[in-house]
Amino acid sequence: MPSEIITLQLGQCGNQIGFEFWKRLCLEHGISPSGVLEDFATESLDRKDVFFYQADDDHYIPRAVLLDLEPRVIHSIMGSAYAKLYNPENVYLSKHGGGAGNNWASGYSQGEKLQEEVFDIIDREADGSDSLEGFVLCHSIAGGTGSGMGSYIMERLSDRYPKKLIQTYSVFPNQDEISDVVVQPYNSMLTLRRLCQAADSVVVLDNTALNRIASDRLHIQNPSFSQINNLVSTIMSVSTTTLRYPSYMNNNLIGITAPLVPTPQLHFLMTGYTPLTNQTNVNQPAVNVRKTTVLDVMRRLLQPKNMMVSTGPDKTNHHCYISILNIIQGEVDPTQVHKSLQRIRERKMAQFIPWGPTSIQVALSRTSPYVQNNHRVSGLMLANHTSICSLFERALAQYDKLRKRGAFLDQFRREDIFKDDLSELDESREVVDCLVQEYEAATGMGYLQFSAKKRAADTKSEDSKSIGPSSG
Amino acid sequence: MGNDSPRPGELFEGLYGTLTTLAVVPSMRVTLLNFFLCVLMIDCRKKEEAALTLQLSPTSTATNEDDLTVALTRFKTDNNNGYTNGYPNEIYRYEPTQTDSVDEYTEELHLANYPENLGKQKNLDAMHDVIQNAIYSFTGVEGKYLKRDIVSGRFKLDPLNQDRLTSIECGMLVRLSELGYYHDRVVKFSTLSTGFNAMGCMGQAFIALLKEELTQFHGQVAQLHDQLHNVRRKQMIAYMNHQVQDYRQQQGELTLMKLLTWQMEPLHRMQWLTKIADACQMKKGGELASVVYEYLDNGNPMVNRLAHELLTAICGPLVRMISKWMLEGGICDPCGEFFVESLDEVGADRLWHDKFRLRLHMLPKFIPIELAQKILKTGKGINFLREVCEMDEMVKGRDKLKKIIDNQVSDIFSCVQDSSWHAAIETSYQQTSKHVLDIMLGPHKLLDHLHGMRRYLLLGQGDFVNILIENMKEELERLGTEIYAHDLSAMLDAALRCTNAQYDDPEILNHLDIVVQTPYPGDYGWDIISLQYTVEGPLATMLEPTMPTYKALFKPLWRMKHMEFLLSMKIWKEQMANAKALRSMHDEIGKACYRLHLFTSETMHFVHQIQYYVLFEVIECNWVELQKRMQQATALDDILEAHEKFLSTITVGCFVNTMTDMERHLDTVYDNIICLDSWQSSFYRECFKELEAREKVRKRVAESELTGGYGLTSEQKIERDHELKMFEQRVISACRNLDEIATAYEKAVSGFLLALNSDNDPNLQLFGTRLDFNEYYKKRDTSLSKPLTFEHQRMSNLFSINSKSFIGARSTINPQISLALLNSNNSPNIIKKE
Repeated sequence: MPSEIITLQLGQCGNQIGFEFWKRLCLEHGISPSGVLEDFATESLDRKDVFFYQADDDHYIPRAVLLDLEPRVIHSIMGSAYAKLYNPENVYLSKHGGGAGNNWASGYSQGEKLQEEVFDIIDREADGSDSLEGFVLCHSIAGGTGSGMGSYIMERLSDRYPKKLIQTYSVFPNQDEISDVVVQPYNSMLTLRRLCQAADSVVVLDNTALNRIASDRLHIQNPSFSQINNLVSTIMSVSTTTLRYPSYMNNNLIGITAPLVPTPQLHFLMTGYTPLTNQTNVNQPAVNVRKTTVLDVMRRLLQPKNMMVSTGPDKTNHHCYISILNIIQGEVDPTQVHKSLQRIRERKMAQFIPWGPTSIQVALSRTSPYVQNNHRVSGLMLANHTSICSLFERALAQYDKLRKRGAFLDQFRREDIFKDDLSELDESREVVDCLVQEYEAATGMGYLQFSAKKRAADTKSEDSKSIGPSSG
Repeated sequence: MGNDSPRPGELFEGLYGTLTTLAVVPSMRVTLLNFFLCVLMIDCRKKEEAALTLQLSPTSTATNEDDLTVALTRFKTDNNNGYTNGYPNEIYRYEPTQTDSVDEYTEELHLANYPENLGKQKNLDAMHDVIQNAIYSFTGVEGKYLKRDIVSGRFKLDPLNQDRLTSIECGMLVRLSELGYYHDRVVKFSTLSTGFNAMGCMGQAFIALLKEELTQFHGQVAQLHDQLHNVRRKQMIAYMNHQVQDYRQQQGELTLMKLLTWQMEPLHRMQWLTKIADACQMKKGGELASVVYEYLDNGNPMVNRLAHELLTAICGPLVRMISKWMLEGGICDPCGEFFVESLDEVGADRLWHDKFRLRLHMLPKFIPIELAQKILKTGKGINFLREVCEMDEMVKGRDKLKKIIDNQVSDIFSCVQDSSWHAAIETSYQQTSKHVLDIMLGPHKLLDHLHGMRRYLLLGQGDFVNILIENMKEELERLGTEIYAHDLSAMLDAALRCTNAQYDDPEILNHLDIVVQTPYPGDYGWDIISLQYTVEGPLATMLEPTMPTYKALFKPLWRMKHMEFLLSMKIWKEQMANAKALRSMHDEIGKACYRLHLFTSETMHFVHQIQYYVLFEVIECNWVELQKRMQQATALDDILEAHEKFLSTITVGCFVNTMTDMERHLDTVYDNIICLDSWQSSFYRECFKELEAREKVRKRVAESELTGGYGLTSEQKIERDHELKMFEQRVISACRNLDEIATAYEKAVSGFLLALNSDNDPNLQLFGTRLDFNEYYKKRDTSLSKPLTFEHQRMSNLFSINSKSFIGARSTINPQISLALLNSNNSPNIIKKE
């Protein structure tokens, strides 16, 4: 089937958000938890075969591969009503079940060890599709399995399927609370390098911002994982609506991604969604229902507080949008879109890069007829904004703090990749540093001549890289 | 009469015998015989008097009336033989009674009181003559006093006899004769083949009514005659009985005065008839009706009635034509009078659009164009149902409608169109159009097909188009001559099967086809492969005329998809993949890659914006509008009209055949994107070649190190360095090429933007601002900001009002802008030179 997308869920976090995502897709397409099409789902305007395929008995199976090194989350999924949905062959649990111990290096080396079995599954899925478009990876960058094994799989995927798109939904750790994972800065840095070099586009899901949104905008005191994951699944499902409800444009992943990513490095995307309602419980009357119009939605999407990335205050006010795609859903009068764009331009509500033409792209999308939305119009923004580099800067700062003291490095040294030295960590830092520089440069006209500036930093990583073990 | 006494009869026989034996000219013989007969009739006793008349021919007695005796003779002959100077018809009618009675008087008449009687008689005669003359003139007959003027056709007094009349009589006579003049004209207008008559069936109806009018008039005149004769007879009786005093005061005697009053009404009527008929000369059909209709609302009730009658008569055939057309779809119009025209040379395939049309000059004024359209459409619908859909049912309530339409003729021109006639027309229109609409929407699925065309020909089904292009990509990039259509249809089927198109009605999908045009040299698959939607049967009749538009629209849309495909599926995807693969060569190619990426993102932005504009703002928005109108449609033509409007709007919006700078700039933009694609392929080829060479060297080094060697020999190293230098050189020149492409591209985009901003269409202006949303181009090109200044907008508003002085005014008022315009116009040439 056409333009298929295979979803890989890695680790505890990845499987959790993946689970929510599939739940959501099933709801939108009228597929029951066991994969059978519901009786009411007779309208065939949607395209289910991007994410699902049909078994011989016509029940729908997600193109999903569930990977984890410890059984807890997978068991809870397989114990839920959706257990029958997944192809059991696609659920892979490490046999020793010990997990990665929140250690990137452990995850990475386990990934290396298990790669044959894992790629058996992935290859089978890929062969089963007519024209595979790409992979979507769900994981967190802080833990062990999602980050370490995810990094390994990403590298292998880009070698093995160089022509396929690799998109990730990467969950960034919450900065506001003290993590119980002490090596989180190392894990993040090492994963970020892979996200930079192996992935084609990364949708950043910042736990800091998600928690903030949950408490500030939805007024939830202590947001639970499921409430946060609900937000994430909304973003994931809406960002794929144009694939699932095809119309005149943006009907494949590349078509969506390509205009958002001007140069291969600048591929970290922020998301924003409005209006948000606290809809964890369907029976409970929703709060904060407001009147929505296209202009209203598009304006709100440009507000930083609706962004699902906490970028911190932009003191110099020099950050700007590289590109924006707004996916608007609901009852939209086509002429309103145009007016809203004019208004945004006149009032200069958004700052754009000076070195190239760009604008707000709008994709109108149908919504599922089976899911009730309290609002007439809702919108998701996928944006490439230079301020995302503050996230990396923060990661760098935390990393540097830890690295300077050389803390907690023992458990890393135990794995093959750090057997000889810790250059992998330094290289990763360089790559992320380069990325921050590039994002900073992209805020000004200087970006056109950026390559010269970058060379110094780059050669360094280049030199060291040739020795690195990962460049095979 | 001759039987009374045998003697004169014998005498006549004898004479007759003699005459026949004589060899005389036949006319002479007849004259002689007449004479003899006259002589015999006055009892042969006045042979000497008769001898005098012998000199005259009986037919020309009127000229020698001076002679008293002759007058007497004539009087008698008149009474016996009728008026010898013509008009036997009228005379014969009264003869039986007259001859008998007059005979008696003549028997008793003696010549004793001859002079006295003669005086009275003459007076009486003259009066009678004048009146008789006047009455004759009513029907256009010349008399003693009134002669027809050959030039004007009017009557005038005979100058020979004029002095016998008093001036009052003269005046009255002339006035009376006017009626004759008009009568003559009406006769002329009502006679076919005079060249003054109205023509055609409706003309015939008109003439028939004129004739009827004339007949009525003649009847009236005949009554006058009768009255005259009656009075005359009574006078004669009185005269014979020597009641001299009495015969003058005969009751009901006609005088010129009385005639004048009598004449008023018919004169008026004849005048109007003449006036109307005069205007109707050589006219036919609707034109004729329009002319008569002009006279309808006259304040004079008589005229009003008259025009009404005439128009009713005229519209009779028209109404029958209408009913035949509207209820049976037939045209029976030998004279070309009906306002609906069927073109015989047009076949059934173009029945709906071209076969029938209005003959506007045959459209009566009282039928508004909307009504005429309705009538046209009704019959067209019936024809369509019968010939194209092959449905032979009769119109519902046909007989009843026919009765109403045929019989209530005068309703057709009633000033308020709410009569039952109009209602009947409306009903049959509604019925037929509803029927046609139901047939087209129901069994023939017109809306579904329109939707299908929008989805497949106008590329509304994005996933399908993507997959189709993906499936055919090898074919599309092949040279035109190497493409075979049969491969493609399998690909089309595959694309239909695996996208959402599979849920579409198979009937609609069956109409979709891929066509390969004959390639010109140098054409690639992209240029010659196109989608086509074939329609048949009734649908073809409906949609065939719009097919060329769809074809024209498909091209730019397809080209846009081509660009999108090139940019995202090829150029961008390659860049992403190669950025990873070529990371080790960043030093050498980093700069070039950056330029490439940035340029690509620039083009990508352009292509996505224009695609969004065309697909969403132009097509989608108008499609929503069209759907709204299709839902409200009550007749098929509403849908077709809305559809045509939709197409013409999006044709403008898609920059098709606008013959403007925009189209040209757009072409340049696209050409440069194609250039970019080929540039990138060759660039990466070079890069990979280099990468491979390096890999080889590295391997060799590793091998020699394993065997304990020194890695590379110095020659190898020099060779390697040389290759590297060559490569670097090539990268530099490639960079230069890329810059050239980028410059040409940017110029074209600037030109395009300027054209958009300078356009009067606000949609295009807004599109221009959207393309340059962050004012990137505006900052680079100062001329772009000018079209948006207040002064320019004010000026261009002025220009749009009087666009004739456009160029001249612009260059005088704001030379800078015109310069900028000129520059933008010239830019493509500059590009070519470069």
